[in-house]
Formats: sequence, C-alpha cells, structure tokens
Amino acid sequence: MAKMYTLSNGKVVTEPGNKSIIYLVIVLAITSFFMLFIPIDWKAINFRNAGFILGQLFTPTSGQTYRDYFAFIVSTPVLNALLETIRLSFGGTLIGALASVPLAVLSARNIVKKPWIYQTARAIMNFIRTIPMFVIAVVAIFFLGYGILPGIAAIAIFTFGIMTKMVYETIETIDMGPVEALDACGANKVKAVGYAVFPQVLPIYLGYFIYCFEINVRSSVILGFIGAGGIGIILYNNVGYRYDRVGGVILLLFVVVVFIQSITRYVRGKLQ
Amino acid sequence: MKKIPLLHRKKYIITHEEATVERQLKEQPKLWIYNLILAAVIIFLIVYSFTDSQINLSRFANVWPSFKVMINGFANPNTEFLFGLFDADGSIDKTTIPYLTMQTIAIAFVGTIVASIFALPIAFITAKNVAGKHLSKVGEFILVVIRTFPEIILALILIRVFGIGALTGMLTIGLHSIGMLGKLFAEAIENMDRGPIEALDAVGANLWQKIRYAIIPQVLPDFLSMGLYRFDINVRAATILGVVSAGGLGTPLIFASNEWNWPTLSSILIAIILMVVVVDLVSSKLRAKLV
Repeated sequence: MAKMYTLSNGKVVTEPGNKSIIYLVIVLAITSFFMLFIPIDWKAINFRNAGFILGQLFTPTSGQTYRDYFAFIVSTPVLNALLETIRLSFGGTLIGALASVPLAVLSARNIVKKPWIYQTARAIMNFIRTIPMFVIAVVAIFFLGYGILPGIAAIAIFTFGIMTKMVYETIETIDMGPVEALDACGANKVKAVGYAVFPQVLPIYLGYFIYCFEINVRSSVILGFIGAGGIGIILYNNVGYRYDRVGGVILLLFVVVVFIQSITRYVRGKLQ
Repeated sequence: MKKIPLLHRKKYIITHEEATVERQLKEQPKLWIYNLILAAVIIFLIVYSFTDSQINLSRFANVWPSFKVMINGFANPNTEFLFGLFDADGSIDKTTIPYLTMQTIAIAFVGTIVASIFALPIAFITAKNVAGKHLSKVGEFILVVIRTFPEIILALILIRVFGIGALTGMLTIGLHSIGMLGKLFAEAIENMDRGPIEALDAVGANLWQKIRYAIIPQVLPDFLSMGLYRFDINVRAATILGVVSAGGLGTPLIFASNEWNWPTLSSILIAIILMVVVVDLVSSKLRAKLV
C-alpha cells in the first residue's frame, strides 16, 4: 500500500509506488522463459579446457618453436588471405556506399516531397536491412559460385542497406536554406541536391563509409567459413587440429583490426 | 558590346563583367579535374578489389536459372519443417523452425541481459565523470579488446569450454556485446545531468539514495533503449553462430545450403526475415515509449 503524507497546507499526497521491482520481475520472467530454449549440459562444460585451449591457441604445438608460430602468421598464404579480406571488404563497402546515395536521396522526406516515393524507397531499404550479411552471402554463393565474388556482393548489399539508412537520416537533418536558394534561382532537383545537399552531407558520409569498412573487415571473417573468400578459410581449415594456427590468425586479425580502428578514429576526428 | 551599368552608386559601378556570381564562378578551382581524378581513383580501387575474383560473364550465366530455382523453392517451402511443433511421440520437436527460431531469439535476449549485467560495472569505470582519467583509460582498453574479436572467433574459443549448443551461442553474444554496450552505457553516464545529484547532496542524502533517486532515473531509460538496440543487432548475429554449431537457425541453414535444398532453405530464410522484422517492430515500439 502506498504511503500517504499530509502536507502543511492540508493537501494529502501519495508516495509514487516503486515500479522497478515489477520491471525486474518481468525481465526475470522473460529471461527464464527464454532459458528454456538454451539447454545447459553441465557434463559438457569443462572449465579446465579454458586454460588448456588458451595455451593451445597462443603457444606453438609440440615440437615447434615460437619461430615457427610467427613464421606461419607472416607466411604468404596467410598474408594473401588477409589482403583478400581487406580487398573484398573495401571493394564491397565502396560499391555499397556509392549505390546507397540515390536511394538515400529518394528516402529523405525533405528532398522528395511525395510520400509514395520515399515510403517505397524506405521499404526497399528496410527489407535489405533485415537480412543478416551471412545469409546474403549464402544466397550470393548460390547465384555466383564460390570465391570472393559472392563475398564482395554480400558486403556491398549489406553496406547498401545500412549506408542508405544512415545517409538519409543525415540528409533529413541538413540546413534546407541552400536548397531553397537554388530552387529560387531556378535550379532543378538534381542540381539542387548536387550543389546544396552533397556538400553538407559529404564529411558525414565519409565518416560512415570508414565506419562501415571497419565493421565489414570484422564481419567478413565469417565469409571464409562458408566459402565466400577471405581469411576465414584459414581459420576454418585449421579448427579442430591446429589450434596454434587458429591462434596465430586471431592475433593477426586483432592487430589488423586495431590498426584499422586507429586509422578510422584519426580520419573521423579530422572529418568532424 | 557596350558596357551596361548594373548598379549605380556615386563611387562604384558594378558591370556585368564584374558581377559577383560570375567572378566567383571564374575564380573557383577547376573542380572537374578533381572530380576526374577522384572517379579514376574510385574505379581503380573497385577494379583492384576484384582481382582474383575470377569475374567473367560465365559467372553470371547461372544467375537467371538459379533465380528460378530459388523462386520455386520459395513457392514450395518445406511446411513440415516450417510449422512442425511436435515430434511423432508428442514431445516438442527441437529440430524444426519454431523451436530454432525461439532459440535464436533466446540466444540474443539472454545474451544481451548477460552483457548488460557485465557492462554496467565496466561502464561506471569507463565514465570519466565517475572514475578518474586513469581508471577510465583502463575501462576503455578492456572494451576495445572485447569489441575487436569477431563473434565467430569468440564462439570458436568458447565452444571448446561450453560444448556444442545454444549455451555457447548465448555466452558468445553476451561476451561480444559487452564491448559496445559498455561504451554506450559509459557515454550515457557521462552525459548525465549533475543537478539532481547536487540537489540530493544539498538535502543530505546518502550515497545509495543519490544513486537510487538521481542517477538511476536519469540513465535507466537510456540503458534500456540501448539494450533493446543491441538486442536487435544480436538477433541477426545469433543466426551466424549456427555455422560453428553454437545453436539457432544457422546450423540448418548451413546444412541446407551444402546441398542447396531450396524448400528447406527458403523456409529458414522466411523464418529469419519474419523473426528480424517482428523483433525490430517490437523493440522500436518499446524504444519509442522509453524516450
């Protein structure tokens, strides 16, 4: 029962009830319902394995030295696969980012005034965004065969979806003054967008591009597992018997991702 | 041609030749050269990224027949697999889509809860206005390291400790999400308004009362909204984990794609798209209520 207080002016107020308990119970109930779908097999859990596998990953296998361990990381096949990962992420991101521009303009409510156009454009974008990249890759393999071609296609389509969303949201926040000025001069829609919208959006667009590239390098590891190119194939081939090689590739990826992240942060800082 | 005065002032006459707009146009750098170079660089990068891709027209010859096969698959989904709830002996069938879809959502949901629980203390360490500058650097480093590992690699490591199945998937999602949730939580704490804390200080509240009445009411809506946002992302991520047998819809997807069994494959794709759309809708409705 909520507490009642009588104030000095005679007003009676009730203390608001504490709702956090109710929320906590709801969250706990949903969590325990979902836990029904996550079977826990206590016998299969082996915490001792944790230390064991870390040792396996980051030390050479028996009969080899750290020299061999690091020689594998910088061996030609591994570096080629790494280059392939970067190349396919970059190419896919570039194609997707370029292709997203027209759809983003069509999705922006302040540029395209007709609801049926921007709603159709957004529906296309939302549909593409629902499909996880790895699912796009599986379908792309079916269409194009194995290799880095479906990888590039998957990354391009995935980037197209998220870039369109981010760019159109940016376009909707721009200053419409220059667009109206060009309209008043008699410029047509295409010219108005080119001279008044793009210059305002460009720095933010480049920032998003780099951000997408960073995400794509990380998520493209999965592509190798399903045969769509990149360094994932080396992980896939060595999982199960050469954990030292898996660990080596993990270290290499870690260094590369940290390197790309620091470049990203530097460039984004410059752009803003 | 005679010069026609455009604007008469006593001291200064602007002619057509000197009109500011035209002068501006003449004086501006030759943009087309930059544009040409930029276009060349972009085309070169795209072409370069396609090296070793064995791209040729014959790769695209299969697109139309494949498309027909795919459409045929979508027209005849494997309904037994798509809707089958129970086994022959009446117990819940754990190999069909309804169960696996719920399992995928469960992996994402419980994973997000686990991540939020661990992200909270790290976020308080990372927030510059709570912890000092040095401690904040430590927190940031932890978060960056966690974020850097792709999910699939975490799953590969965790699967050796927790075995094959959804538990590993849930823990992978949980561990991976700490990185981003911790960062977002820390930003929310940093953007907090200090006014209510000072007000409670002034009336003599103790630390717990300050946390309860000044900090939690401010950050809780933000935290919940970020958690829901991450849950959205995690539902998509949870489909990947099946590739390494860490539960969810990914495992049957990979098996069906190995033999291009389109009736089964299309059922899984339908389930994934429906699942993501429904989760997106629910979470965006909830988030709109929170903010």
